[in-house]
Amino acid sequence: MAGDVAVMNASGPTTGIGSTRGAVGDQILEVVSATHRYGEVTALDNVSISARRGEFLTLLGESGSGKTTLLRIVAGLERPTAINRITIDGVDATLLPANKRNTTTVFQHYALFPHMSVGENIEYGLKVRGMPKQERRKRAEKVLELVRLPGLYDRRVHQLSGGQKQRIALARALVTEPTILLLDEPLGALDEKLRIDMQVELKELHERLGLTFIYVTHSQEEALTMSDRILLMRHGRVVQEGPPTDLFERPAARFVAEFMNVENLLDGTIESMRDGEATVRIGSHLLRGPWTGRGTAERGAKACVAVRAERIQLGSAPAQDASSINHVPCRPGVTIYKGKYVDQMLGTEIGPVKARVWDRSMEVSSASAFWWRVGDCAVTPIAAD
Amino acid sequence: MALAEHAAGMNLRQFLPRMSAGIWSLSGFTFLWFIGIVVPLIGILLFSFLQTKGIKVQWDLTIKAYEKLFFYGGGPLIGRTIRIAATMTVIELLFAFPFALWLAKGAKNQNLKLITFTLLTVPFFLSPVARVIVWRSVMSVQGLVNTALLDIGIVSEPVEWLIFSEFAVHLGYLGQYFPAMVWPIFLSIALIDDEYLEASKDLGASRFRTLVHVILPLSLPGIVAGIIFSFVPMLGDTVVPQQMGGGNVMMISHNVYTMIGAANFVMAAALSAIILAIMLAFQVVLWAALRPVGGINNVFASLHR
Repeated sequence: MAGDVAVMNASGPTTGIGSTRGAVGDQILEVVSATHRYGEVTALDNVSISARRGEFLTLLGESGSGKTTLLRIVAGLERPTAINRITIDGVDATLLPANKRNTTTVFQHYALFPHMSVGENIEYGLKVRGMPKQERRKRAEKVLELVRLPGLYDRRVHQLSGGQKQRIALARALVTEPTILLLDEPLGALDEKLRIDMQVELKELHERLGLTFIYVTHSQEEALTMSDRILLMRHGRVVQEGPPTDLFERPAARFVAEFMNVENLLDGTIESMRDGEATVRIGSHLLRGPWTGRGTAERGAKACVAVRAERIQLGSAPAQDASSINHVPCRPGVTIYKGKYVDQMLGTEIGPVKARVWDRSMEVSSASAFWWRVGDCAVTPIAAD
Repeated sequence: MALAEHAAGMNLRQFLPRMSAGIWSLSGFTFLWFIGIVVPLIGILLFSFLQTKGIKVQWDLTIKAYEKLFFYGGGPLIGRTIRIAATMTVIELLFAFPFALWLAKGAKNQNLKLITFTLLTVPFFLSPVARVIVWRSVMSVQGLVNTALLDIGIVSEPVEWLIFSEFAVHLGYLGQYFPAMVWPIFLSIALIDDEYLEASKDLGASRFRTLVHVILPLSLPGIVAGIIFSFVPMLGDTVVPQQMGGGNVMMISHNVYTMIGAANFVMAAALSAIILAIMLAFQVVLWAALRPVGGINNVFASLHR
């Protein structure tokens, strides 16, 4: 493992890898006030981001949220309509074209050159930098080992499986020893099993190389699994940023909760706020939960109680905990068998609620009430920002 | 009628019970191709080895026609034809590639693109004679160019080699076969996914490197097609040498025409056979030229993507 790191740090005619230049943790990327429009459509609306050296930063969002545009601006493949500054590893890169920036991209559809062999593909970045053939070959063989595909050097691109293409694209991007590795939905085209394996592998690779990764995905699961920090984007803006636990546990807006797959989003109005805890009125019910939006909310403002299905307990609340739980009566609806667990739909006065039951011995279809701990839900504002 | 066909079909099916529809159509087309193309070619070849006395054909194989051909200046004729066609193919390629590249990847204005496309189809619906004849009024002794040159005072008397010369034949070919070269190259470049160009740039390649290492090899199918579609028809073109050469520039195809006019069918057949031989030789050259990039199969393999 140490050997592999040494490979990537080996200095050569190419510019040195990022981590050899400065201390881990300092700013390696800074994008200040980037705006990009395609005709009338604003893809990116005055966004600023930064990344620390060695960080795994994920740009998460639906298609059209501006995440790929932002990545392409960092790569230099897109010239933004308006921008204050891009700094890559201390160098002002605002006006540098893609071929002059020491960033490489793993493209969504890999973009492996069809007329070249695997080896030629990997060596391409070294070839255009004028590295001699023998040295190129040596590095290509090493990086092939790094992505666990030794012996594929002479293979043609169309002979590769999807997973292999993905790794070769990764190898091609890594071999030039970039300052920042940009990944544009690299696992999007793989089947589920392979995707999960690759997530783990990418995470391991990131830790071994100490390289800065900027990863674009629409999958909250991928983002949670791999990232040090997530930027959730919507309509060309950053809606929330923070470590995975922040986005998962403390969504700053209803949209975030929805995007992070919180099953139950119960809309109501703020009744009162006290010590960061909000009370929300939905019909005649009062529900409490920690306020996770920015600042505080006014009484009467629209708010949403977000609670995950697995946090909901069926049955009557334990009496001694009455002060720290939300309790709602219900009538049972459909039971959906999911294999590992059962999803129980519940009809309530505050709308349909989904509860997830892991205990197979539990009698789910007769529940007349359910409850959850106040700390197990989040109260968010309804407006996007 | 329909019944008869049906019955015939039935008979054939009984006759060849295990042949699938695919094999049927394939062998059918091969048969038609054989009847329509190969048989006449064999006929021409055969005919070129005969002799005529008056209007009577003598059925003894002989190479008299070829002997005569080379005795009466056939060598320079063949040489000139190949030289002019080859020169113009190279010039067409040099003009067409940048143009096709611009049209496929550079041009952003949709209206401009549309107009260009339309202009490129002109040679396919306007008679070649009509197109070539225009040059005459431009390049002749009293033509546009000479009048202008005289008026400005660059020359004191008309430049005569502008028309009815080798220069004029070259010029005539230029416009005529430009679309034939541009179209296939344009198509093959347009088929190159922009992501490849971005990947190349992203990996540090300059525009020139991207052109050499990515665009050029991936557009090779179009380049090969363009070369075939301009070189081969140039060999057989009768209009340009006649209208632009005006009898001063002898080329094979034009001579075939003259020989047929003179009812010298054997000589016409011999000249045609030589064009056929040049085309075959051209194929061999092309095949050899593509060896370094992995042969013709590999050129088209890059279309698998």
